[in-house]
Amino acid sequence: MNSSNQKKRNFQIEAFKHKVVVDPKYADKTWKILEHAITEIYNHNASGLSFEELYRNAYNMVLHKFGEKLYSGLVGTMTLHLQEMAKTIEAAQGNLFLEELNRKWNDHNKALQMIRDILMYMDRTFIPSNRKTPVHELGLNLWRDNVIHSSKIQTRLLDTLLELIQKERTGEIINRGLMRNIIKMLMDLGSSVYQEDFEKHFLEVSADFYRAESQDFIECCDCGDYLKKAERRLNEEIERVSLYLDSKSETKITNVVEKEMIASHMLRLVHMDNSGLVNMLIDDKYEDLGRMYNLFRRVPNGLPTIRDVMTSHLRETGKQLVTDAEKLKDPVEFVQCLLNEKDKYDKIINLAFSNDKTFQNALNSSFEYFINLNPRSPEFISLFVDEKLRKGLKGVSEEDVETILDKVMMLFRYLQEKDVFEKYYKQHLAKRLLSGKTVSDDAERSLIVKLKTECGYQFTSKLEGMFTDMKTSQDTMQGFYAAYAAELGDSPTLVVQVLTTGSWPTQPSITCNLPAEMSALCEKFRSYYLGTHTGRRLSWQTNMGTADLKAIFGKGQKHELNVSTYQMCVLMLFNSADRLSYKEIEQATEIPSSDLRRCLQSLACVKGKNVLRKEPMSKDIGEEDAFFVNDKFASKFYKVKIGTVVAQKESEPEKQETRQRVEEDRKPQIEAAIVRIMKSRRVLDHNNIIAEVTKQLQSRFLANPGEIKKRIESLIERDFLERDSSDRRLYRYLA
Amino acid sequence: MNKLGRGHRDKVHQFMTITGTSEKAAYQALKASDWHLEGAFDAFYSQPQPKSYTDARRLEDLYNRYKDAYADMIMADGITLLCSDILVDHQDIVMLVLSWHMKAATMCEFSKQEFIGGLQSLGVDSIEKLREKIPFMRSELKDDQKFREIYNFAFGWAKEKGQKSLALDTAIGMWQLLFAEKHWPLVDHWCQFLQARHNKAISRDTWSQLLEFAKTVDPQLSNYDVDGAWPYLIDEFVEYLIENGIIQNGQLSDWTQKH
Repeated sequence: MNSSNQKKRNFQIEAFKHKVVVDPKYADKTWKILEHAITEIYNHNASGLSFEELYRNAYNMVLHKFGEKLYSGLVGTMTLHLQEMAKTIEAAQGNLFLEELNRKWNDHNKALQMIRDILMYMDRTFIPSNRKTPVHELGLNLWRDNVIHSSKIQTRLLDTLLELIQKERTGEIINRGLMRNIIKMLMDLGSSVYQEDFEKHFLEVSADFYRAESQDFIECCDCGDYLKKAERRLNEEIERVSLYLDSKSETKITNVVEKEMIASHMLRLVHMDNSGLVNMLIDDKYEDLGRMYNLFRRVPNGLPTIRDVMTSHLRETGKQLVTDAEKLKDPVEFVQCLLNEKDKYDKIINLAFSNDKTFQNALNSSFEYFINLNPRSPEFISLFVDEKLRKGLKGVSEEDVETILDKVMMLFRYLQEKDVFEKYYKQHLAKRLLSGKTVSDDAERSLIVKLKTECGYQFTSKLEGMFTDMKTSQDTMQGFYAAYAAELGDSPTLVVQVLTTGSWPTQPSITCNLPAEMSALCEKFRSYYLGTHTGRRLSWQTNMGTADLKAIFGKGQKHELNVSTYQMCVLMLFNSADRLSYKEIEQATEIPSSDLRRCLQSLACVKGKNVLRKEPMSKDIGEEDAFFVNDKFASKFYKVKIGTVVAQKESEPEKQETRQRVEEDRKPQIEAAIVRIMKSRRVLDHNNIIAEVTKQLQSRFLANPGEIKKRIESLIERDFLERDSSDRRLYRYLA
Repeated sequence: MNKLGRGHRDKVHQFMTITGTSEKAAYQALKASDWHLEGAFDAFYSQPQPKSYTDARRLEDLYNRYKDAYADMIMADGITLLCSDILVDHQDIVMLVLSWHMKAATMCEFSKQEFIGGLQSLGVDSIEKLREKIPFMRSELKDDQKFREIYNFAFGWAKEKGQKSLALDTAIGMWQLLFAEKHWPLVDHWCQFLQARHNKAISRDTWSQLLEFAKTVDPQLSNYDVDGAWPYLIDEFVEYLIENGIIQNGQLSDWTQKH
């Protein structure tokens, strides 16, 4: 062979020139194989099939452009099988219906999976490019259309499901697993199927059921029981959803229960006689209240309903409390009742209403409302504090003291007329300090600090001044005795408290005639004091002092008498006289007559304290009465306390006086507020001034618009303000 | 002038009587306002008064006629004489108007400056001229603006020297006088109320606000606004009216109260 004859050959790939002979019956034949396979699969005979061969067949059909035939064939075959399955299901009797449905559904799913595997190539190529429904989805749709929506099955399915749920609601046990599967089937078929074919009807039927049930319950149950039942049903439904329904149904079904069982009957429940909200509150039924709270918070306007009823009940009870004449006789009792009421509701809100802020606010506003209905509340609260600080807190731990004082502060915050409280507090504090009757200095100080934190420095500066005076007086006394030690050996012991006028509540200073021993001593003190403090003026407040007298009575009984200064003056007279008439006593002591009467009454007319004897023995002091030392006086105590300079509830005239003083004090405060506001605003109209002034003074008292107006006019008179010339409602600040 | 129709002649006459001007001035004023009396009055009063020539000498003489023997001012006797000269009762309200022109500081006395200054501003320098001015001065009370000025002036003029407020009796007297000119149906009730409930002096603010009250609030109190920044005394007055049934359901009932 000649090598030069060899032609160079490139590899060339040429199209297949031979026509592949496709058997025209190829498609039919192939389809028949597949069709047969599908039938076998549905007949549970899949084991005899070769997956690989079937796959190849399906693949070839698609490859040779017979995808359409394959697809429509699939549709047709599957439809036929499903229709057969439907017939079987339809034929099932009674309880077996669902089971059969479930079984067939499982079968279909298994079959569908195998079929999809076999037809995978078509699923991936032919179907998307021809916008056909994928095999799996197709299978579900066909199931839906041919089985679920078949006329004989659709209604029966729904009815069966609802019937089972109804059974379960009435206490029967049902096959939950089966339910779950069926429901899951509906869910798998698409949310619209689940909703349209089941959920929608389920909710309707449930609504009817609960409507009827709630109507029954409410006729025969009391509120607490009803709520228990409602809660139980609610929990049941939630459980039902978790066990065999779509979780998205939970809100919907709970809404139904809430509406039918709670919202529809809300008012009737709350206002139920003998068992409604008010009764629960009165009886501290924490569990029931908590249940009501939890249920009602689920419905619109539920909590506001509870809150409103609680508020009006609280206001009503509170109002009764503060206007109850019996309670008002004892101020300390009165305040204690208020505190008890507050504690009660704090506990309720804490335990049953989960510390809901809006309920706290309702509680606060109610208290604010009724505490201020009684104009004596400020006085009574001060008296309560007084009692505690004088003796009530004896032996109480520091922590508990703080707790009680904090509770008092809380009541204080509710007061509208804080300046009235201040006035009384000052009076009572003065008495406590001067009679040395305070249980704990620390407690006193602690309360002052709390008041300062609440109201500012101004409120407490005078009160603090009072404490300072007490301390300074101690130092002064030490100095006095040091300086006069030699002279005073035999004299009675004098203790002087020097009070700065202005810090202490104003008292009219009426002096009386002190016994000689005392007046000499007092004069010595006066000169000592003025010696070291020039430019000051001292006036003895004889109506506020106390004295300890050692007395020996007719039969030799020895007693130490703790008396007021006035009482001392009277008693000392009997050192130089056996019998004294009222007039003689009055002349000698120059004590004002009303005070003298009270003084003599306390010395002669009180059992156990009658160191004096009166003729005649009547209760009242007459001008012609005569007094003697009571030689038969007896007391099992060595020390007898007769003097009373203790804080008490004011009498009517005293109350009027205090109120008047408070009103007078308010006038300059109002004026100061007006001037302050006008100075910065320059020009302001009438209504706005009233509003601003009221706001500024709110923390001390509620300013009366009429009074504000009068102050404005007074300021116009004094050329601080003028009316605008064109608009008479406008005021202008005059620099 | 003879060619004037009856109606027009009457108007000229009226104008002259009320304003005290001459016939010629009256005719001109009316003609200018198209023979509307109201318009003519408005125009007339809004003009400044023509400054007529006054003789300083004659004013001096006039002053000396009335001046008090011991003090360099006109006191009670002088005023009495003045009143009889111009034929006016000394309690006549026109004396208030005259005092207003003089800017007199206090009633029952005129300083030299006040007297002469007042007469000058009126453009008079003789008793006759002053007498002629009286109708004009009366007419000034009909003008809203001037009435207000005179009213407010009256407060300072009527009160005691050195006092801030006006004694109640004097105030009541002044109110009776002033509100006779400008009819206010509630004036008697007001005075009664003050005597029964208030019994204290009247502040300037109350005085001036009362006029506003009388002008703006109708006697039935239908447009009384309780938030209207009226002085407290006036609020009390309203309460008093309602309490005593004088105003019932917005009706001013007949006054037959017994107190």
